Amino acid sequence: MSTTLSADWARRLNSLQLALVGVFLLAPVVWMVLASFKQSSDVIAYPPTLLFTPTLENYVALIETTPFLSYGVNSIIVTVGSTTLGIVLGVPAAFVISWTRVSWPAVLTLAARMVPGALFLLPWYILFRNLGMIGSYWPIILSHAVITMPIVIWILLPYFDGIPRSIYEAAQVDGCSITRILWRIALPLVGSGVAIAAILAFVFSWNFFLFVLVLSTSDTKTMIAASFNFVGEGSTRWGVLMAVATLIALPPLVLAMIVQRWLIAGLTLGAVKG
Amino acid sequence: MASIKLRNITKTFGGPNIISDLSLDIDDREFVVFVGPSGCGKSTLLRIIAGLEPVTEGDVFIGDQRVNSLPAARRNIAMVFQDYALYPHMTVYGNMAFALELRGMSKVEIDTRVRRAATMLDIEPYLDRRPKALSGGQRQRVAMGRAIVRDPQVFLFDEPLSNLDARLRGQVRAEIKALSQQLKTTMIFVTHDQVEAMTMADRIVVLHAGVIQQYDTPEQVYEHPANQFVAGFIGSPTMNFLPIRLQGDEIVLTGDGRALPLTDDRRGRLQNAGGEATLGVRPEHILLCDPREGIAASIKLVEPLGSDTMVHFDLAGTPAIARVDPAIKPKVGETIALRMAPSRVHMFDVKTGQVLT
Repeated sequence: MSTTLSADWARRLNSLQLALVGVFLLAPVVWMVLASFKQSSDVIAYPPTLLFTPTLENYVALIETTPFLSYGVNSIIVTVGSTTLGIVLGVPAAFVISWTRVSWPAVLTLAARMVPGALFLLPWYILFRNLGMIGSYWPIILSHAVITMPIVIWILLPYFDGIPRSIYEAAQVDGCSITRILWRIALPLVGSGVAIAAILAFVFSWNFFLFVLVLSTSDTKTMIAASFNFVGEGSTRWGVLMAVATLIALPPLVLAMIVQRWLIAGLTLGAVKG
Repeated sequence: MASIKLRNITKTFGGPNIISDLSLDIDDREFVVFVGPSGCGKSTLLRIIAGLEPVTEGDVFIGDQRVNSLPAARRNIAMVFQDYALYPHMTVYGNMAFALELRGMSKVEIDTRVRRAATMLDIEPYLDRRPKALSGGQRQRVAMGRAIVRDPQVFLFDEPLSNLDARLRGQVRAEIKALSQQLKTTMIFVTHDQVEAMTMADRIVVLHAGVIQQYDTPEQVYEHPANQFVAGFIGSPTMNFLPIRLQGDEIVLTGDGRALPLTDDRRGRLQNAGGEATLGVRPEHILLCDPREGIAASIKLVEPLGSDTMVHFDLAGTPAIARVDPAIKPKVGETIALRMAPSRVHMFDVKTGQVLT
C-alpha cells in the first residue's frame, strides 16, 4: 500500500517538475508568438496582457516594408549550404578519427568552435574581401561550416566508435578499401546519427547571427540578420520584431517536432548493436 | 588451398613482445588450432596471418607468396570472428554475397554460391532475414557461410564458439570439423578451450607468452607434453604436479618422504636433473589399489560427473585429483590407497619446466 502511494507521489512530483521546466522553457516562446499578434501598444503593456484582439498587422508590415521572402531564401541557401558542407567534410573526418583513434583533430575542431567567433571576423572579412567573395553566399556558408562541421564530427564520433571493430575488419577481409568501408558499411549503420547531426547543424546555422551580420550584403542577408533592422537606436518595433522572430523560429521548431522521437533516440543511443 | 609459413615473427605494440621470434609451418589442407591462455598472442598471430596486424619483424608466406605487404583484401583468406561481425544492415544473403559483389562476380554466380553454402549450412530459410533476427548459432553459421562462399585459400577462425552456450558449442564444433573434412582447405582455429583444440585439430600449437610451447598432434601433446606448461594446460581436470626427489635409490615425494614405485629409467633421468623434479600425473592415471601397495590419502572432496567421479585429496601436502570409477562411490573423509601408472607419469625440470628425457 505504502509502496503504491509513494510511487504515486513520485509520479506526481515528476509531472510537476516537468511542468515547471516546460513553463520555464516555453514562456518566452509563447510570449514571442503572442506578441507577434498584438498591436504595438499591447506589446509593451505592463503587466503583459493575455487577452487581446489578435492582429496580423506586424506580419503585414514585415512583408510590405522588407524583402522578407528573399531573406528567407538567403537563409535557406546559407543553412542548407553550410549543413551540406558540414556533413560532407564532417562525416569522413569523424570516421577517420574513429578509425585511427587519433583524437587531436576532433579536439582541434572543438577548440576552433570554443574560440569566440568575433575573433575570426576581421581576418575572415579581409580574406574574403581580398578573394573578391564578399557579396556572394560563400563567405557565410564557409564561416558557418566552422560551426556545423564540429557538430557533425562530435555527434558522429560515438556512432562510429559504437560500430564493433570486427565489422570493419570483416569488411577488410571481404575486400573493402577504407573508402568503401565508410560508404558501404559504416554510413548505413550511422544513418540516424547523420540525420541528427544534419538537423542540429541546420538549427545552429539557421540561428547564427554574428557572421551573417558582418559578412553579408543586402543581397545575401539572412532572416536572422534582417531582424536586426527592427531594433532602432531610438525605438524598437517590438511587434514586427516578434513577428520576424516567430517566422525564424518556425522551421527549426517544425523540424524538431517532426523528428523528435528520432532525435531523442539518436542522441541517447549513439551505438550500433549487431 | 595453401600452406602457411611463418618465419621469425616478432610482434610488439610498443611494450614487451607479444610474439617473439616465432616460426611455424602449416601444411596445405591441415586443420591447426592455436591454443593458449588469454594474452598468449594466439589471436595476434591469427590477425598477422589475416593481414589485419602488421608484423614487427619476420615474414609471412601463404602458399609460396610472401604476403607481409599485402592487405587483408588481397590475401584470399576468409575469417570468422568471435562476435561473428555480420553486417547488421544487410540480410543474410547480402552478408554472404558482399565479398563476391566486391570481386565483380556475376549475379548468377553469386546466387549459385550463396545458395550452395546456405544449403550446406542449413540456413536457406533465413536468407532474407537480418542478423538481429537470428539466434547465436544461426549467426555463427552465417559467418561461416560468408567465409565459405569465397572459396578462400585459408580459413581463419578467431574463437568463434566462445559466445555460444555449451550445448550449441559442441554441436557447432562438430559441424566445423565436418566442414573442414568436406572443404579440404587449410584452416586455423584460435581458442583458449583445450577441449576444442583436442577434438578439432590435426595439429595443435600451444602458445604461452608469445612463444610456441609445443606443435604436434593432439595425441602427442596430451601423451607427451613438452613441458610443464603444456602438461598443465592440456587436459581437464588439469594434470597433478607433485615435487619429488631422489633419496638413496628411491624416488620419494618431497613433502613427506613416501616412496613412489617408478621405473629405473626415471631414476636415471632424475639423477641427471640433480635429484629433484616435478612429477606430473593425470587424474586418470592415479589408480586405486590395495592398501598394502599404495599411498594412503584422505578424501577431501568428491565430484560425481556421471561417467566418472573426481576425488580430491592431498598428497604430501599438495592438492591432487584422481578420476575414478563412479561405481566405487567414494566418500569424503574416507582413506583410500593410490598408485600411479608408472609408464604414464611425467617428470619436469624444477627450474625450466621442460620434460626430463
